[in-house]
Amino acid sequence: MLIMRHELLLIAITVILLIVEIFLPNTQKHKIILPAILLMAAVTVIGFFPGTPGVLFGGMFQSTQLTMMFKNILNIGVLIVFIQSVDWLKQDQNKEKISEFFLLMLATLIGMNYMISSGDFLMFYIGLELATIPVAALAAFERLKEKSAEAGVKLIFSSALSSGILLYGLSMIYGTTGTMYFADVAPLITGVPLQVLAFIFFFAGMAFKISLVPFHLWTADVYEGAPVNVTSYLSVISKGAAVFIFTIILYTVFSKIAVMWSDLIYVVTILTITVGNLFALRQQNLKRFLAFSSIAQAGFILLGVIGQSQLGMTTVIYFVLVYIFSNLGAFGVVGIISNRTGKENINDYDGLYRTNPNLSLVMMLALFSLAGIPPLAGFFGKFFLFTAAAKQGYYILVLIALINTIISLYYYLLVIKAMLLNNSDHPIAKIRSDNYTRLGLLICVAGMVIIGFTSSIYEMVFNLSFGLY
Amino acid sequence: MSAESLILFFIVGAFLVGFAIVFSIFVAPTSTNPQKAEPYECGIPTEGLTWLQFNVGYYLFAIIFLIFDVEAVFIFPWAVVMKEMGMIAFVEIVIFFFVLGLGLLYAWKKGALKWE
Amino acid sequence: MFEGVPLHWFLITGTIMFFVGIYGFLVRKNLITILMSIELILNSVNINFVAFNKILYPDHLEGMFFSLFIIAVAAAEAAVVIAIIINIYRRLVSINVEKMDEMKY
Repeated sequence: MLIMRHELLLIAITVILLIVEIFLPNTQKHKIILPAILLMAAVTVIGFFPGTPGVLFGGMFQSTQLTMMFKNILNIGVLIVFIQSVDWLKQDQNKEKISEFFLLMLATLIGMNYMISSGDFLMFYIGLELATIPVAALAAFERLKEKSAEAGVKLIFSSALSSGILLYGLSMIYGTTGTMYFADVAPLITGVPLQVLAFIFFFAGMAFKISLVPFHLWTADVYEGAPVNVTSYLSVISKGAAVFIFTIILYTVFSKIAVMWSDLIYVVTILTITVGNLFALRQQNLKRFLAFSSIAQAGFILLGVIGQSQLGMTTVIYFVLVYIFSNLGAFGVVGIISNRTGKENINDYDGLYRTNPNLSLVMMLALFSLAGIPPLAGFFGKFFLFTAAAKQGYYILVLIALINTIISLYYYLLVIKAMLLNNSDHPIAKIRSDNYTRLGLLICVAGMVIIGFTSSIYEMVFNLSFGLY
Repeated sequence: MSAESLILFFIVGAFLVGFAIVFSIFVAPTSTNPQKAEPYECGIPTEGLTWLQFNVGYYLFAIIFLIFDVEAVFIFPWAVVMKEMGMIAFVEIVIFFFVLGLGLLYAWKKGALKWE
Repeated sequence: MFEGVPLHWFLITGTIMFFVGIYGFLVRKNLITILMSIELILNSVNINFVAFNKILYPDHLEGMFFSLFIIAVAAAEAAVVIAIIINIYRRLVSINVEKMDEMKY
């Protein structure tokens, strides 16, 4: 029982919230917000108690210290998203759908948990689908807005196509090996042509989910159209979980053809970082801007994946942890301003520091962390990723990534310049944020600063990832 | 079943049906009039184009039907192994139906089962 | 009944269905037709799984179960897609993909 603790707890609170939702009259829906957040907080705290690693369902479900820690990271991220979205949920247009927001989010979180501790492609596939389908419903959450509906359509169709392609690859793997268990498949991967083809299909399917170039085309549209809180969820939690399981499958199942996939990832990394950065330069809408910057960040994560070592795994997880706090901080500020004023363009942020000094400080810290400015956590995340790649001898790749970091610094600074230095005749009026928003942003800032100054977290991740690789 | 018996089955079936049709042409009394050509011989004549769009309500029902219909697919493998597994299988299917029932209850509560 | 049918016949059928699905996904303009193309892709995967299982690995039923789960998940996906399409129709009074161009580049 304790092996599946995270999942069972989440399922329990989902069922509780669903029953409450069924029997709650329509006018009382807002009362579910506080219990939902408290339950989620409780689950997050319980998740940190030491658990027993183990295997269930004959190897289909495997729980290690590493997956447990990653589930805790995801729990924290979802908790922050919950806290940040209260302000948006209290708007009139959402007042009848408050509990659906929590239910769908929890459903995707359950899917991700099953996905990251899967020991079998069947469990992996079901978890992946459970993690994507509700997100499409969330993207189309604002039923009355055309953009939101459009984002929903674009998300569900591209993810359905990608899972179709991924499944076709899986069917070939099944055809050549006769099993779906990771442990049994791994020794049978010999690099025969059908398996290479299968791997390419699998890679294309996963690249869609992580939005790597050239499979990134849906990202910007979906991120712009979906509600801000859903966008932040998509860009951080979904992406983080997908990267994690992608890395694990690459390292464990396809480790025998590592020569092949490291070439593939080499090219994709360069493309992803460069295209993401160059397109981010010309964006005016902040959500699109953050979308392209998140594509570039996914490219940086691949730097750790390509290392194929314990260090690589560690840096990937550490970077995801840092990235959750930084990106959620940035999206939190964009979210509150977009919800209160409807303004999302960079020009609208001119002179924000005069009217809303606290919000612009949080935004500045988050962007600095994303860009990788030293005292903040983002710097260490990127630094470790570069180290992991350099240790394997990928010097040219690291050089290209460094050049791209400088480009990214330029466009992050553009936003900061708009907030601090530019003057505007009509700056955004002073926003009185409620306690939930403040708490959410505070957690993000604390995360960015504390993780930057404490090395023990990195060491903990390093020790845990030893068991896997 | 082997291929021969299948082919025989097809031949006999085609013969029986064909025989009935041909036989009725010779034996049955025939009459022709304009009403014969209408889509509904004993109903009201249709008005306007028949290529009209269906009411959205049909789709809403179709969605709910689709989900609950396809979930039934999981009951087949369960039914096969139920006797061997015993009590565990029973408990599992009860949980399964509990979750399905919650979904149905939710749809009912949201008014999705009402025709508008 | 299918004893004499070699494996590659099934695989050729599956591959043709897969690429017809991909072609339809890329070319068609109607959202419902695109959904049908996706179903084609998923069903081609089902054919592959069942054929591999039946002919190459008849001892275990893994492939069969995988296709059962694909069917169930595809139904859930179709339900969400249709719900979103209904919503799109209410907003745009059309389900043509070319009408969905509010966000570009």
